[in-house]
Amino acid sequence: MNENVIVSDPPSAGPLMHEDLELLHEVALLTPGDSHLEMCIQCGTCGGSCPSGSAMDHTPRAIFAMLRAGMREEVMKSNTPWMCVSCYYCTVRCPQDIHITDVMYTLKNMALKSKMFQDTTASDFSKTFISYVENYGRSFEIGLAGIHNVTHLRLAVRLPNMVPMALGMLTKKGMSPLPPKRIKGMNDLKKILKRAKELEAA
Amino acid sequence: MSAQENKPKERVGVYVCHCGTNIAGVVNVGEVSKWASDNMKDEGVVISRDYKFMCSSLGQELIQKDIKEQKLTRVVVGACSPHLHERTFRNACKGAGLNPYLCELVSIREQDSWVHTDKIAATEKAKAIISGGVARVIHHEALEPLHVPIHPATLIVGGGIAGIQAALEIADAGFPVYLVEREPSIGGHMAQFDKTFPTLDCSACILTPKMVDVGNHKNITMLTYSEVQKVDGYVGNFAVTIKKRARYVKTEDCTGCGICWEKCPKKVIDDKFEAGIGYRKAVYTPFPQAVPKYPVIDDINCTYFVKGTCKACEKFCPTNAIDFTQKDEIMTVEVGNIILATGWDLFDARRVPNYGYGRLANVFTNMEFERMSNSAGPTGGNIVLRDGKTPPKSVGIVHCVGSRDKNYNNYCSAICCMQSLKFAHLVHEKTGATVYNFYIDIRTPAKGYDEFYQRIIEEGTLFVRGKVAEVTDAARNPGEEGKLIIQVEDTLVGKQRRIPVDMVILSAGLEPRSDSKALAKTFGISCSADGWFIERHPKLDPVATMTEGVYIAGCVQGPKDIPASVAQGAAAAARILGKIQQKEIALEPVRATIHEEQCSGCRICNTMCPFNAILFHEDKMVSEVNPALCQGCGTCVAACPAGAITGTGFSNEQILSQIDGLLLLTLDKKETVPSGS
Repeated sequence: MNENVIVSDPPSAGPLMHEDLELLHEVALLTPGDSHLEMCIQCGTCGGSCPSGSAMDHTPRAIFAMLRAGMREEVMKSNTPWMCVSCYYCTVRCPQDIHITDVMYTLKNMALKSKMFQDTTASDFSKTFISYVENYGRSFEIGLAGIHNVTHLRLAVRLPNMVPMALGMLTKKGMSPLPPKRIKGMNDLKKILKRAKELEAA
Repeated sequence: MSAQENKPKERVGVYVCHCGTNIAGVVNVGEVSKWASDNMKDEGVVISRDYKFMCSSLGQELIQKDIKEQKLTRVVVGACSPHLHERTFRNACKGAGLNPYLCELVSIREQDSWVHTDKIAATEKAKAIISGGVARVIHHEALEPLHVPIHPATLIVGGGIAGIQAALEIADAGFPVYLVEREPSIGGHMAQFDKTFPTLDCSACILTPKMVDVGNHKNITMLTYSEVQKVDGYVGNFAVTIKKRARYVKTEDCTGCGICWEKCPKKVIDDKFEAGIGYRKAVYTPFPQAVPKYPVIDDINCTYFVKGTCKACEKFCPTNAIDFTQKDEIMTVEVGNIILATGWDLFDARRVPNYGYGRLANVFTNMEFERMSNSAGPTGGNIVLRDGKTPPKSVGIVHCVGSRDKNYNNYCSAICCMQSLKFAHLVHEKTGATVYNFYIDIRTPAKGYDEFYQRIIEEGTLFVRGKVAEVTDAARNPGEEGKLIIQVEDTLVGKQRRIPVDMVILSAGLEPRSDSKALAKTFGISCSADGWFIERHPKLDPVATMTEGVYIAGCVQGPKDIPASVAQGAAAAARILGKIQQKEIALEPVRATIHEEQCSGCRICNTMCPFNAILFHEDKMVSEVNPALCQGCGTCVAACPAGAITGTGFSNEQILSQIDGLLLLTLDKKETVPSGS
């Protein structure tokens, strides 16, 4: 061989499908569209931007690292996706264009199905919220707060402290204590939601 | 033309390369070689071999031996892309007395083994590719390269450190250089910097002697305050049209004494050299050590040009060097080679709204900090808040602003890590403030760079691993009042942190010049999607371009630091000196020719030619290709509605035969596609 020999590297064969990455790929597949989840560079923009970051037991970035490490149980038990308020700050700022909020929804679904998490307050909150949407076509804050706090004893102890805030909201912010009016076309909404559930189950 | 006619005429040798396992790992090369000798005897194949590395000297000798012993008249090599080794095999043939253009290199690596995993199918494809090469090579003609003389002068566009280095190398070797610079002085970005990493040399102290050398060099013609408008011609013989903007100062009379800018009543914010944090006058030199020393009058801001009165500079000039009647000048220079060293623009940090630049007073850019830290700058080297007097007690330096981010630029700007470490040192040294560096990854790969990182850690800079989420002035507790709060996830702790500081420095990335695409078009070279100029080969030919005679150096090719820019400037100069010494250059004879009697004079080809190589004869109403300008790209050949243009080496006969060969039609005589279909 002389100096004329130049051997370049062949092009890469695409992302590796290693068994360690099983969990990561499962989450990616269950997320609509291309979430770019495997592209995370662990920069922490999501965790830094998250308004609920301080209430999460793991930041979104840490969750992605745990997915990569195959830590299924820890992820399913984490409160992280349940603390997500869908503000989309993380998604807008992510330098790798990862659809982080969408992934959080996937993780909520997976957690419900896995039945691994013990504290159901967060998931119950979502369920109560959805039940109002299904019945009235809109949310009902007083009812949501009331039912949620009353049905969870651990939370009910906080209620006395929350009275001044509730009174303020009722008097100053013009929030109604009465259940909301049902939206027009409630039947159509129900059909839409039914179809959506069928599609999800399929 | 059918294969039978050629059979007795040509003796073809076929050579199949393993390229180690690059080809042989996927393609059964032995089978391909045997297939060629068994099945293409009628096409003239007299010998077929496979070899581990055809490009090695042993492989080349194999071909040369066969040319002599087997009396080969054509050679087909199935190996890598012609970009890599076409020249190697052509030279091997030439060495054995065969005209180099009778050799055809077909790619069974990039176009076959690298893109397929199915070994059986890939082997069949390799056979088809070889068959196409054999069918084509029969129609090749012996060609001689075109020789053109080289003009010994060189044009260098851009007077930053890369351009300065290149200019001095060529001029010192005794050849003329035209150095064109858009600004009133050469020096580029390096003249703005305070210290340079990792040695912390004063930037001006190492740059200005070189600038002075350029100014005094008898072989260098400096054209500052000037821009290239048009480039005609081709390698060896470019004619470059340059616009020299009116300085309104007679350089033959001006002594650079500075009375004019002292007396000028008009202050202008200097958003170029002082990065917007300082002022200059309407008549100015960008900085005290400017080369040339002559000022320019900025006719957009000068009171005389705006209102028609003032002329203070003219009144006070001791040598009567001010001349308000000067006009822009257009000049043409002839050069043999060109170096583009036009540098970079700073990423506009306003584009990242969450970092607050332009909205929060004490958020600074890296260039603003460089000027602030420079003792010749607007603050006299004092690091102070936007109020101009308060030194910061704590400073946050944010890495990767606009870089490594799909929302802005995907690439790493290469210099920001070292620059941010340097800033940390300067802040420590000058203010004693607490300094934080917020980073995704610290990248310090060059000589002495990681040692510098160690030194900065030792000095007590605090490192937080996390891309900053936002910079805000909305305090959440008394400790945050009146501060800028940097909100970030400390990824090594896994917790969100809010760090209050007095000053934030954004390490904004490097971007291609905003007009880089237009510049690339002027010089007939290509830009990447990002806007950086594309080199001939990313590893093996980083300063040449695909256009002969046009070279690139420095950040115009991609973000890089001063040592790398200097190395590229010198490398481009060395390449050009080598060409000048040869006095003439051999051009590929692959050219387009227009058949006059078939040309309808529609001129479609005139505008399509990317090299402006086609001229139109008004008298005869036909177009003609200038063979020295033509690069053989084939655009005109494909575009001509009358089919009046032929590309040498790419005739219809050659292309259609190759297609027939690829489809293995040449092997089945009954089904040979009739020519012209």
